[in-house]
Amino acid sequence: MLTRTYQAPADTGSTRARHGASRRSAPLYVICSPQRCVGKTLLARLLAEFHLIDDRPVTAFDLADEGPQLADYLPGCTTIADISDAPGQMALFDRIVADRQTAKIIDLSHRTFKDFFTIAEKIGFFAEARRQGIEPLILFMIDPGPKSAKAYTILRRWFNEASLLPVRNQLVAKGIPYCAAFPNESAVSVSLEIPVLGASLKTLVGQQSFSFARFWRATPVSLPVRLDDELRAWIKRVFLQFREIELWLMCEDILSSLK
Amino acid sequence: MAKPAVVLIGADKGGVGKTTVARTLLDYFTAHQVRVRAFDTEVPRGTLKRFHPDTTEIVDINLVPDQMKIFDTLQEGDASVTLIDVRAGLMSPTLRALRDIGFIDAAKKGQLTFVVFHILGPSIASLDEIAETAAYLGDARYFMVKNFINNTHFFEWDEATHSSYFKRIKDAVEITIPKLSEMATEQVELASVPFVTFIANKKRNGDPANNSFVLRGYVRHWLGNIWAEYDRIGVTEIVRPKEAASGDPVGRPRPIMRIAEAAS
Repeated sequence: MLTRTYQAPADTGSTRARHGASRRSAPLYVICSPQRCVGKTLLARLLAEFHLIDDRPVTAFDLADEGPQLADYLPGCTTIADISDAPGQMALFDRIVADRQTAKIIDLSHRTFKDFFTIAEKIGFFAEARRQGIEPLILFMIDPGPKSAKAYTILRRWFNEASLLPVRNQLVAKGIPYCAAFPNESAVSVSLEIPVLGASLKTLVGQQSFSFARFWRATPVSLPVRLDDELRAWIKRVFLQFREIELWLMCEDILSSLK
Repeated sequence: MAKPAVVLIGADKGGVGKTTVARTLLDYFTAHQVRVRAFDTEVPRGTLKRFHPDTTEIVDINLVPDQMKIFDTLQEGDASVTLIDVRAGLMSPTLRALRDIGFIDAAKKGQLTFVVFHILGPSIASLDEIAETAAYLGDARYFMVKNFINNTHFFEWDEATHSSYFKRIKDAVEITIPKLSEMATEQVELASVPFVTFIANKKRNGDPANNSFVLRGYVRHWLGNIWAEYDRIGVTEIVRPKEAASGDPVGRPRPIMRIAEAAS
């Protein structure tokens, strides 16, 4: 069987140069959907590991209540959060607004979707995040169901202070026109898509022991070249979209520093 | 000289949240640039005084000298509004005293504005209080306050019984104080500062505090809802009819955060 071993890439973009720079705002990604099984945890893993690949600080908060969940995949950087009472809410929201250096990712389960955004609206969470120099981005996993379209409309109406971006997981949302039910009216003109992954690779990345960062640095010895190429191209395609978001954040920082 | 206004906050039952309502009103008046002074009748150590020491004086409303201190000075000083937080059990005696000294008649003649916030409990005793209070009100603006802050369940009330009592007071208006998270309530108590100061994350002396953002958010949301009730009933127009027209817009959402920062 043909296998290859990869070295960690010297630079996966402009990240390293920027890492040391005095960036004003750290992003807060809220990955959500009112539906289950639409790829929220997969996107959260990818985003977290996108940062880990470059040894950049990242903190993830797992609000899922069924496994496998983000904390199963990335226990080192993930905190399990519970917002059902005030102490739990303080542990999550106070911690997020207090730290403006670290990129933060919230993986929101479909069951906590409503509670999370209700609390966020009540306490003015996104406005406070902005005041603290944290850029909130709501990554909404779209699907054909009317429930999601309605939820998306409500988020658009409630949260002017956050950028609401539709994310199309090709596996569940192929062919849904963005502009109909899920218009991207935020300043971030990035169309996020998670491409379809082949069945065998889907099984591989679904294993709790699998790490995108480790794979990026060194291919597992047992993986055939064809699959290695496919997975690497898939990751690159997703990471390129994350880079586009970061590029937008950088531009915003530069523009605001010039004002 | 503007017509003085007296705002009386009371109930004969204890623990229904009179001082909490008084605190929200003081914050509201301050935010709307209404000059206000307050009297706390909970002698010797008043709770209102603890939160608003600069504007509050503790008095014994049963004593004539203290009654003189309040009512003989309505047109003196800077304050156009006098707020009185009446201790539990003293609502009816205070109203009786006001009638006896001719205060109620003065309000009837339009020489001053008299506003009563009657904080209701869930029991039938509260309804009896309404009936008793009605006898003394004269032309006062009367607000019945259902205070949910301490988890009171007003649903225990029989609506027909409630209505029969409610109708005894002409032009009575009902307002609702929503519940505030227990933890937020405790933290504001511990901080011993006005609600707006807590929201602005400040200490009494203006130094930055370290209050939870979540709890501050809950207090801001809660206070915003209460102020919306005060807007609805037009509190500022009642206490300063002429100035209100050029004052802050009422009935519209306000940036409480900015107000809080400015006020603290």
